[in-house]
Amino acid sequence: MQLMSSNSALERTVNKVLSEKESDLIAQIDSAYHESMNNLESSRESIESEYERIIDSAKKQAENLKRQIIGSTRLNARNKQLLLVEGAVNEVFEKAKLAMRSVGRDENYKQLMNRLVDEGLSAIGNDNMIIECNKTDTELVKKLTAFTDRQKKIKLALSEKPIDVIGGVRVRSADLTLTYDGTLDSRIERLKPLIRKSIVQMLRGES
Amino acid sequence: MVARGRIVWVSGPAVKADGMSSTKMYETVEVGESKLIGEVIRLTGDVGFVQVYESTSGLKPGEPVVGTGQPLSVLLGPGIIGRIYDGIQRPLVEMAQKTGDFIGRGIATTPVDMKKKYKFIPTAKKGEAIQAGSILGTVQETPLLTHSILVPPNYRGGTIRDIANEGEYDINQVIANTEQNGLKTELRMYHKWPVRRPRPYAERYDPSVPLITGQRIIDTYFPIAKGGTGAIPGGFGTGKTVTLHQIAKWADSKVVVYIGCGERGNEMTEVLVEFPHLLDPRSGRPLMERTVLVANTSNMPVAAREASIYTGVTIAEYYRDMGFDVVLVADSTSRWAEALREMSGRLEEMPAEEGYPSYLASRLAEFYERAGRVRALGSPDRAGSVTLVGAVSPSGADFTEPVTTHTIRFIKTFWALDTRLAYSRHYPSINWMQSYSGYLEDVSKWWKQNISADWYELRAESYEILQREDTLKEIVRLLGPEALPDEEKLVLELARMIKIGILQQNSFDNVDTYCSPEKQLKLVRLMIKFYKEAQKALREGTPLSDIRAMPIITTLLKAKFEIPDDQVSKLDDIDKRLTEEFHKSVSQEEAKIVV
Amino acid sequence: MSETVGIEYTKVAEIKGPLMIIDGITKASFDELVEIESTDGERRLGKVLEVGNGKAVVQVFEGTTGLAISGTKAKFLGKTMTMPVSQELLGRVFDGLGRPNDSLPDPVADRFIDVNGEPMNPERREYPTSFIQTGVSVIDGMLTLVRGQKLPIFSGSGMPHNILAAQIARQASVVGTKEDFAVVFAAIGVQYSEAQYFKRSLEESGALRRSVLFLNLADDPAIERIITPRVALTVAEYLAFDLGMHVLAILTDMTNYAEALREISAAREEVPGRKGYPGYLYTDLANNYERAGRIKGKNGSVTQVPILSMPADDITHPIPDLTGYITEGQIVLGRDLFRKGIYPSVNVLMSLSRLMKDGVGEGKTRADHMEVGNQLYDAYSRAQEVRALAEIVGKAGLTGVDLKYLEAGDLFEKHFLKQNQDENRTLEETLGRAWEVLSSLPEGELTKIKEKNVRQYYKGKQ
Repeated sequence: MQLMSSNSALERTVNKVLSEKESDLIAQIDSAYHESMNNLESSRESIESEYERIIDSAKKQAENLKRQIIGSTRLNARNKQLLLVEGAVNEVFEKAKLAMRSVGRDENYKQLMNRLVDEGLSAIGNDNMIIECNKTDTELVKKLTAFTDRQKKIKLALSEKPIDVIGGVRVRSADLTLTYDGTLDSRIERLKPLIRKSIVQMLRGES
Repeated sequence: MVARGRIVWVSGPAVKADGMSSTKMYETVEVGESKLIGEVIRLTGDVGFVQVYESTSGLKPGEPVVGTGQPLSVLLGPGIIGRIYDGIQRPLVEMAQKTGDFIGRGIATTPVDMKKKYKFIPTAKKGEAIQAGSILGTVQETPLLTHSILVPPNYRGGTIRDIANEGEYDINQVIANTEQNGLKTELRMYHKWPVRRPRPYAERYDPSVPLITGQRIIDTYFPIAKGGTGAIPGGFGTGKTVTLHQIAKWADSKVVVYIGCGERGNEMTEVLVEFPHLLDPRSGRPLMERTVLVANTSNMPVAAREASIYTGVTIAEYYRDMGFDVVLVADSTSRWAEALREMSGRLEEMPAEEGYPSYLASRLAEFYERAGRVRALGSPDRAGSVTLVGAVSPSGADFTEPVTTHTIRFIKTFWALDTRLAYSRHYPSINWMQSYSGYLEDVSKWWKQNISADWYELRAESYEILQREDTLKEIVRLLGPEALPDEEKLVLELARMIKIGILQQNSFDNVDTYCSPEKQLKLVRLMIKFYKEAQKALREGTPLSDIRAMPIITTLLKAKFEIPDDQVSKLDDIDKRLTEEFHKSVSQEEAKIVV
Repeated sequence: MSETVGIEYTKVAEIKGPLMIIDGITKASFDELVEIESTDGERRLGKVLEVGNGKAVVQVFEGTTGLAISGTKAKFLGKTMTMPVSQELLGRVFDGLGRPNDSLPDPVADRFIDVNGEPMNPERREYPTSFIQTGVSVIDGMLTLVRGQKLPIFSGSGMPHNILAAQIARQASVVGTKEDFAVVFAAIGVQYSEAQYFKRSLEESGALRRSVLFLNLADDPAIERIITPRVALTVAEYLAFDLGMHVLAILTDMTNYAEALREISAAREEVPGRKGYPGYLYTDLANNYERAGRIKGKNGSVTQVPILSMPADDITHPIPDLTGYITEGQIVLGRDLFRKGIYPSVNVLMSLSRLMKDGVGEGKTRADHMEVGNQLYDAYSRAQEVRALAEIVGKAGLTGVDLKYLEAGDLFEKHFLKQNQDENRTLEETLGRAWEVLSSLPEGELTKIKEKNVRQYYKGKQ
């Protein structure tokens, strides 16, 4: 009995130990489980955040790329348009120049020429000057210069070599150190930026 | 007969014209078709050398130059206060109305509104004999300023035949007729005065009253007197402009003339934006009601920069002559000197140091000589002052350059700004070892009479701590702070406290920006008291670390911005706490010893 | 545009350096634009520096190399130099004189504006107060950039000023607004690779179509550099005040500009100021730098970030020195921080933003912003002093508080100052980091911060 009892005591002890161990074990397993779950959870979190980070940076890159592509596409389109407009403007210019070459030497033109000669003479302001013009205008300029009474005070010669311009005159000092460029060609060149603006406005239907 | 010449040569702001033999030196002329304003600065034969106050871009030989018969002058009369002018007294508001947001050329304007009516109250009487500078009557120019109508200083004297009754007049109307020996003169509410000629006065007084600026390091340590001169040299970023703004804002003068000479546009804008909203601590009125601005920013024509200084100081003298204290701040005299150098270079004069003309020193002397406290001309008897404060911008922050070295000869207060202090954000970065004031003795009487009898001693004691720190610093640099005995470590601690708690002042903090003389004194007194208590505690065995850990220190250091001027009595509470804390720490020490 | 026709002269009296002196002048005006044609038909531009007594001194932008006394023609154009402006300029690339450099036609001009500009009337200026968030902690926290400010970067050779400027250009935004912005970039004598880096950076952020580029590269004519910032700023002013855009103008490198100026001055035999630079260098620089700001009643703004390399890292050299007197602060890059590998290597103690006080604080950013900035300066300055001391006496010779400062200094460099080139920090994050640095100090050391802010943000142990 005693043995029995001692046995049972032993058993109880063993049982107790066992159960304690078991609960310990369970607790351990439990904690291991929790731990691994936590690990899993946290690694999932970190994986998720890593994943998000990758996606994020990919998104950012994609966004950048998109911005870049949109930006450069729009810019390229705009630049093509600029080139087209420029082509059209140049065409208008060339046509205008052609038209001017063939324009008649009417009273308006005569007055313009008279003004240009005046301007040129006063700009150079020498007492010995040369006037140049194109072939067509030679007679007109001859008349204009003969007409002016400036001939009395200054020496004014018409250049023998005609120049290749649309119209207008070039006045130079006799020693050729000073030149006043009153040709229509240079006028057009100078006014080109302004004329371009109005052509573009017309092309765009603004004006 | 006015001169009618023709331009023969143009290079930047310098123009030569011939046909100028009938013109006078420093006569104002109209240059070119667009009538740019210029001034004759040299005559050789019939060729006049003209400095042009506007951009000469597009000007060509052959264009006319027409004399005006008048030297460069300013118009002096009611309507000047509150305005912003360019270097030759053209109002910028009216210029904007004519040419928009950017300054155009050849603009003719009047410096003040000639049509505005003022209520004139006569003070002189019919039949009275009057002299140059006498007061005829008054008008209220701004709510803050009663403007005295002055007889021009070049008037030869006479008897008032009749004077306008009290009533509304514009400044062009004749308000008095006078006569002497049959010579009749009409007097208006304004007159003109050539800027390069100092306005005369009857007698000069010695400056004795401090100009209170509310800036601790200025008022307490390096004061300037009303009618005195001072210079602030400093490299860029050291806070010259902020310091000048502070003086312009808080100085206890009646009128402030602020000259922005070759400086930033936004700085003038800042004054224009701030001053109408800031209130004068004494009158409670907007500061703009006592301020005149002369702005010739760095991108405006360089010749007008040269004139702006004279325009400003002449306006200042005019208000002085009414019996007011006027402060003029000029930012920066170096840019003015550079304008002189540029014109001198174009005149092909022989340069002295660093290309500056040899007359740089005499021009600086002439300018600073226009400061002073004076008895004005005429009756009634009155005294006024012009205090001149100039910023100097030495290149490379090198105080041995010509403008700084010459300026030092002609000023009595020197506030040296220190780049190293600025780098560590110790503002105002006025170096307390390099700076000095020649007015210290003169103004100490005022402090003793008006603030406290021990002012001079407290100032000296606190300054001595700073001086001792300066020598100790050398040892610390070599051996470290722990090498010093506790007594000397305490000096270092005190110097730190004085630097943070008194010398440093935050102009952008609502409370700290202005510090009344009472508060200044109390703060210094607290520091000295702390020092004495701490010395005593040290001797009685309190460890230095315990003293350093005392909570009262932080309170002392923050008192400057935590306690506003209208609650200075709180400083007395701190005083009490200070005594208590020391008492406690000492009794604890005693307790320890007993145990 | 003027209708008057200028005269062409052929009497060249003298050619020296970048200057050409022409004789027999009858009609020419100061500042007039001149077109020069060499014997082989090549055309160059110049302008009149001085005229009178039958002579004109002309400064030739493309240099005088290859010009001869005889056969060279100089045509006076009867106008000052102008830049054609229009919205179309955005997305375009020009040379240093404002001529197309991208194989596209001349822009169709809305207006022609004198490149010299006119001084803004100080009375018409609007005081700059809107905070620009750059996403760079050291700038946002301590050197706040404000719309309409001119804030230069002082750098030295090899330091990352361009990377920093590009980062500012990419990230700059005014929080809570979506307004039109544009970037005007002027390369003044810089290397091709630097200009290219900038262009690519703008391209990648999609901002190229909102940018205008002016390129005068290292191998382009030096005298042209006198004009480059002027054309760029003319366009910036147009975009800002005519079209209402917020323009960030980046000018790099102003040192090359000043050197071109010196070259002309030397050729004119003018009396030199310091280091051979002309006495008017200050005024001339100011004429460029002052072209920044805001105007009352107008939407746009010009914010300028000029970059200049300090010769031999010397901040007292006339170029950085005079610049600092004109600009509203400066961002100084430090060689030692750069060597330590810290980006951005901003030497905060030498740096300053004058307009910060007006752009930050309650209602604009955060109530403690200014105080935190000041305290950081104070702490870092103290840390630097302690560092120097520690090198001599060793750490043993330092007090406890000193050691705290050492720690705070390190934390400041690693945690606050240092950041990545593509890292865009919010202001909250910046201030958060600042408080972490400050919280490593004892509370009693925070003498520049009001009690209530210390209570709210201080995280350190008492």
